[in-house]
Amino acid sequence: MKSEKCKMARVTSLVLTFAICILPFAFIQDLYAQAPFYQGKTITIIVGTKAGDVYDLYARAIAQFMPKHIPGNPNFIVQNMTGAGSLIAANHVYNLGKPDGLTLGAIFPALYFDQLTGRKEVKFDWTKFTWIGSPTVSNHFIYMRADTPYKTIDDVRNAKEAPKCGSTGTASTGYYMPKLFEETIGAKFNIVTGYQSGGDIDLAAERGEIVCRSFTITAYHAREPFHTWRKKGFVRELVQTGKKRDPRLPNVPTIYELMEKYKTPEDARRLATVILAAGDVGRPYVGPPGVPPDRVKILREAFVKTMNDADFKGEAAKRKLELDLVSGEELEALAKEVIAQPPETVERMKRVLGK
Amino acid sequence: MLDAFVSGFWQVVAWPAFGYLLIGIAIGFFVGLLPGLGGLATLALMLPFSYTIKQPVEAFCFLLGMLAVTGTTGDITSILFGIPGEGSSAALILDGYPMSKKGEAGRALGAAIMSSVVGATIGALSLAISIPIMRPLVLLFGSPELFIIAIMGISFIGTLAGSSLIKGLLAGGIGLMLAAIGVDPQTGAIRYTFGSLYLWDRLDIIPVTVGLFAIPEIVDLAVRGTSIAEKRSEKLTGVMEGVKDTFRHFWLVMRCSLIGVYFGVLPVLGANVAQWMAYGHAVQGLKDRNLAGKGAIEGVLGPGSANNSTRGGDLIPTVAFGIPGSGAMALLLGALLIVGLQPGPEMLKTRLDVTFAMVWILIIANIIVAALCFLILNQLAALTFIRGGLLIPFLLLLVFIGSFTANNSLNDLVVTLISGVVGYYMVLQGWPRPPLILGLILGKIAENYLWISTAAYGTKWLLFPSVIFLIVLTVVIIAFPTIKERRGRARYERPEGTI
Repeated sequence: MKSEKCKMARVTSLVLTFAICILPFAFIQDLYAQAPFYQGKTITIIVGTKAGDVYDLYARAIAQFMPKHIPGNPNFIVQNMTGAGSLIAANHVYNLGKPDGLTLGAIFPALYFDQLTGRKEVKFDWTKFTWIGSPTVSNHFIYMRADTPYKTIDDVRNAKEAPKCGSTGTASTGYYMPKLFEETIGAKFNIVTGYQSGGDIDLAAERGEIVCRSFTITAYHAREPFHTWRKKGFVRELVQTGKKRDPRLPNVPTIYELMEKYKTPEDARRLATVILAAGDVGRPYVGPPGVPPDRVKILREAFVKTMNDADFKGEAAKRKLELDLVSGEELEALAKEVIAQPPETVERMKRVLGK
Repeated sequence: MLDAFVSGFWQVVAWPAFGYLLIGIAIGFFVGLLPGLGGLATLALMLPFSYTIKQPVEAFCFLLGMLAVTGTTGDITSILFGIPGEGSSAALILDGYPMSKKGEAGRALGAAIMSSVVGATIGALSLAISIPIMRPLVLLFGSPELFIIAIMGISFIGTLAGSSLIKGLLAGGIGLMLAAIGVDPQTGAIRYTFGSLYLWDRLDIIPVTVGLFAIPEIVDLAVRGTSIAEKRSEKLTGVMEGVKDTFRHFWLVMRCSLIGVYFGVLPVLGANVAQWMAYGHAVQGLKDRNLAGKGAIEGVLGPGSANNSTRGGDLIPTVAFGIPGSGAMALLLGALLIVGLQPGPEMLKTRLDVTFAMVWILIIANIIVAALCFLILNQLAALTFIRGGLLIPFLLLLVFIGSFTANNSLNDLVVTLISGVVGYYMVLQGWPRPPLILGLILGKIAENYLWISTAAYGTKWLLFPSVIFLIVLTVVIIAFPTIKERRGRARYERPEGTI
């Protein structure tokens, strides 16, 4: 009898202890209901390049400053997922990322080329990504060694022998930008591909192995050997790809001006629009399809606020990261525009991309 | 110039620069020891920390100091466990690990570290001396020349083949074929990827090297059921013996250091290739080539010095043009920009002291790390006497973590495992492994530069004087062992034994 009582008391006390222990959890649900979604959460940015690459540098800077612009101040983690020119990262975010607004990808802007040309490795629909924003745009230009007879793009059009441009591979702008100039304005280039890196191409230009290269206007103004080159007049800038002339290259014609001048037919212009859109997409941040609209709104707004944050701007200037915001809405519109292409344009595109 | 040289020294040893140097060395020390986790990846991770450092020299003490010592401590892992601590330390396994098995780990470590110091010093001095002639030096090598140098490297397969030339050539051929995997840069064609996106970027050299060399040794250790060192030598360590060896073979160390500098200056080749060239050169010079792969001290000294001297060579194109000579240099260049310096001709005029500070950092960092190593070498060498069963789980963990850091992909582990199985059977059947690695590294380089040379010059490049000179040199290098062997046939037969 006594033991029975004892047992009862023990059970009661156990139940009581248990109740006391779980009591606080009963309120947590309520607490969370009031707290912002992102409180205590972690957002992962999956970067499609190695640590230290420019894409990675942007992502790490954004991961540092974006939390304070999101209600609930979530943590940010940057994870590098390299391979296949960020296609692996894009496939991963699109298919394996949960649409909960906690997974973002930093991917290459020209990945839609692969979708358009029908590469079977592409496991995404470019238009269905959740577009958050891009910190910058990247317009390109072509440099030409000054001691060659090609003083302007006209000289390249009329030359008997095409100048040799260096590139790393067919998927690089060093390859397809000169090709685009062939398609649109009839300039002829002889593209030498297989260099290991941009620096490798610049050394080849110093040696005279090649005489021209296409890459970003930003990089051209950010570092050596280009400061020395400009000062010595080692190279000339032939053309640029932006819609407007870059303030740093006021005397260099844009491809759009040249297409006007040479009366480029409509289909070639459409090709130019599709390919050059990658420059306007910049260095985009995307989420998987189907992120709830309220969270998309939060992320897009936070992205814009981060880009306008004075501290972030200061840090970006210090790290030599150029800022030129493209909003998520703009990216979404661009994505829809580039994917809707007639088959003729796609065929021409394959030719330009060496496929 | 002398002022800048002296000023560079004082800037490095001044506080807080020296403190940053010590932190960099401490990080580099462990990064080097851990297999796979390389100087490049660590540099990328540490770069943000350098943003807060205001003075260029201080930032460089931290970053370059770290990078400078990874090569040295990477050698230690290769020698003690047969696992490449860095991609550029794999060649030290060939003779260093057999020395450990013989109970001579101390001597091998002493030799590796002393030769590293000599190599680093020569690399750094080459950087200093070449300042006036940097630009022509770098411009000397165009794509045709790089192609022939890659072919020259491939011809070293004969030297690295060990007992069976046929097996060596076949292994090299397999390596060249493996190098074809991935997206071809000329046409964008996708070769041998079997639908795997991972293979688009070609086989990564780290998982292949780690698998090929480390896993067979670990299996062997498990099968033997003993400690790494099979017998306890009378003298436990003999570290000083190794130091003396460095000076006994001083000219070999000098020549191999210069090989390292040379490959550092050439874009894209670097320490990964230089170590094998230096090893081949060192083994070629052996009086009795039977000893190669069985614990010849020359086989430790050669790559030990070469993989450190490349750092100095690497810096030459970076400083002369502001064009990075390697991935690590590209990151350093980024750091330079952030502290407000523009490497290139302008910096050589206005901030020559910074260039000299780099020279001093390379030298001082290596001397400090060597001193540190000598303090603990006896303890490190004692690891080879621990029972294998206790070491194996730890070593396997290191191997797989190391491989995984190459691309943070599970596929890295698959590649490591497959390479491990292949490596094990190669050892079992007496196939030499270095030719396969060499083929894999050089195949891509040879292919690319052949295409570039032909696209840029047609067939004219075949008649460039520099190309003809290099072709002749290659033929001499190929023929040299045969000629020497013919002469010496009375003395010994073709070497037995497998590397």
